[in-house]
Amino acid sequence: MEYQFDFGPVFIHWPDLLRGTWLTIWLTLAATAIGLPIAAILAAIRSYGPRPLRWLVGLYVELIRNTPFLIQLYFVFFAMPGLGLRMTANTAAILAMVVNLVAYAVEIVRAGLEAIPRGQIEAGRALGLGPLRILRHIVLAQALRIVYPALASQFVLQLLGSSLVSAIAAEELTAVANNIMIVTFRNFEVFGVVTAIYLTLSLAFRALLGTVHHRAFRWIG
Amino acid sequence: MLRDFGPNELLYLITAARWTVVLSLLAFAGGGLLGLVIALLRVSPWKPLRLLMIGYIQVMQGTPALMQLFMVYYGIGLFGIRPDPWVSAAYAFTVSSSAFFAEIWRGCIEAIPRGQWESARSLGLSFPLILRLVVLPQAFRIMIAPTIGYAVQIIKGTSLASLIGFTELARAGQVINTITFEPARVFGCVALIYFVLCWPLSYLSQRLETRIARSRGESVSLG
Amino acid sequence: MLPLRRTLLAATLLLSLPLAAQAQAPEDIVKAGKVVIAIDTTVPPYGSLDTQMQPTGMDVELSQLIGKSLGVPVEFVTVTSPGRIPALLTKRVDLVVSIFSITAERALQVDFSNPYGGQATVLLAPKGRKIAGPKDLVGLKVGATRGAIEDIVLTEIVKNNPGITYLRFDDGPSCAQAMLSGQIDAMGGGDYGEIYLRKTASGDEFEQKFVLRPNYFGIGMRKGNPSLLHWVNTLLFTLKNDGTLDRLSMKYRNKPIGDLPPF
Repeated sequence: MEYQFDFGPVFIHWPDLLRGTWLTIWLTLAATAIGLPIAAILAAIRSYGPRPLRWLVGLYVELIRNTPFLIQLYFVFFAMPGLGLRMTANTAAILAMVVNLVAYAVEIVRAGLEAIPRGQIEAGRALGLGPLRILRHIVLAQALRIVYPALASQFVLQLLGSSLVSAIAAEELTAVANNIMIVTFRNFEVFGVVTAIYLTLSLAFRALLGTVHHRAFRWIG
Repeated sequence: MLRDFGPNELLYLITAARWTVVLSLLAFAGGGLLGLVIALLRVSPWKPLRLLMIGYIQVMQGTPALMQLFMVYYGIGLFGIRPDPWVSAAYAFTVSSSAFFAEIWRGCIEAIPRGQWESARSLGLSFPLILRLVVLPQAFRIMIAPTIGYAVQIIKGTSLASLIGFTELARAGQVINTITFEPARVFGCVALIYFVLCWPLSYLSQRLETRIARSRGESVSLG
Repeated sequence: MLPLRRTLLAATLLLSLPLAAQAQAPEDIVKAGKVVIAIDTTVPPYGSLDTQMQPTGMDVELSQLIGKSLGVPVEFVTVTSPGRIPALLTKRVDLVVSIFSITAERALQVDFSNPYGGQATVLLAPKGRKIAGPKDLVGLKVGATRGAIEDIVLTEIVKNNPGITYLRFDDGPSCAQAMLSGQIDAMGGGDYGEIYLRKTASGDEFEQKFVLRPNYFGIGMRKGNPSLLHWVNTLLFTLKNDGTLDRLSMKYRNKPIGDLPPF
């Protein structure tokens, strides 16, 4: 079969590609902004909380980490309305991404928390610091530095994983690719271009997060 | 035509899971072999090869697995090859996981102190010999846990094959949902089957990691 | 995926080779010993799984008749709706028999046989909602299957009637499920969709609101195979005239096959 590569029909759709790229970034940022604080709280519970709560958080983490994101998406979008929760495709996408991200972030943050010697916490207590101040000044400040690289790569994984939410009709980059494919039938070219956009995004975010890491933690390190 | 979600349907899901397992095994074996070669070239003394491998890993880890799968699925036929659907999925997952294996194993190899490399080199050992006699035997021990951990990612990742119409567990769930319209039950069961496949591996990986970390007197970190 | 550099290299190498476009005749399929047909098992009543979990439906039975007439077994390859044309172009399958509506745009890529069935693409919505035409969709969430005929028609409607929230799903069942889950207020689908939804627990609440476009299904194949195209048309001619197509339509859709204008 003769096949002539032709990227022209794909580039005509650049406004759609741009919109899809922006939604991909936005979904990932939103999910991270919502997910990280939740993960920090759950990680604190998993490390220092009462046993039944610790166990519950552990169950949640294991359930999410051992099932595919795609199935979690279907569950959130198709099965949740049965429980009276109806949401837009974007909201459902963010919710599923938060649920997924938190499970991984809990384990990352917990590893950071547990890397801090107990002695420091006891020293803080001996100095008369309250539990919240100990958490903020001693534990979180150090833990953040330890877990930052792992969280940064989790962020990029999240960005790439967001390509799945097109399955529940969120119009992000992959969905735009599918739409263009149907109009142009230039499957290989469409996915080539979109793959290149994803690569640019992940390299750019990796560089950005690396710079932030360098700047923010210089004073501690 | 439409019917309830019963034992027959559950059985269909469980049988479909075997394709998930087979696909995962193929990706694990293929990706493992390719990944090992890439990891070794990545730490080799030859700079152009190292750079090439870094580029490969960056591209594979910087693009969604779904896009890689679509590229293979829609691209392979353009070259006049009539591929079995198996080939597309197995090939895409092999290539994708090879980059992750390479990075995981490179980390393990580089965990071996540089001093050992240097002393081995001063003894006149060549690069392959240093790897075989000095580095790999030690690195192997710390490689096991993250390797098993990554197997879990492979199993979950094969669910993407459903989006190109490959009938593994996730696609079987969709098929059953179209004749039952009971998404909570169908996808609940699908999730449960994945969990049964993945959790033992996760658990094993965590146990091994804890044990190795303890034996080395380090703090425990779970990726 | 191969790294981009290597892909491009492979592409230039392979494209520079003179790949002769070989025509495929029915005899070639007979010689190959099997006919590979793309179906979709998520589009009842045309394709789904029976209680023994074997493919069933109108398209599936028609495919088996094709195999029988050729005297070779049928190998089914399941495809998604947007995957139908790629399955042909990449030579994964010989034929597509999967509610493949005949359109001029698609005919630029693949050849269609004469129609073997027809149905209208319609708008489905809950009975309680008053929807008489496209204007009544403003303010509602409307879903469709990406790349299907309803997607093409609805995209145009959405463009001309600002205020419609439009959601594209990757496959029909996801769209229907979204409708049953209450995630969308209306959906584009085949007129079989109404019968189909009605069989679900809450399906009785849905009805056909208006016709988006009448459609005919054809059997799809690669271009440049005149002999195969002619054979498939001949087979469909005989199946239409001996009442087989009508029997299939009654069996799976509970209505006669109707008028099938050839082209």
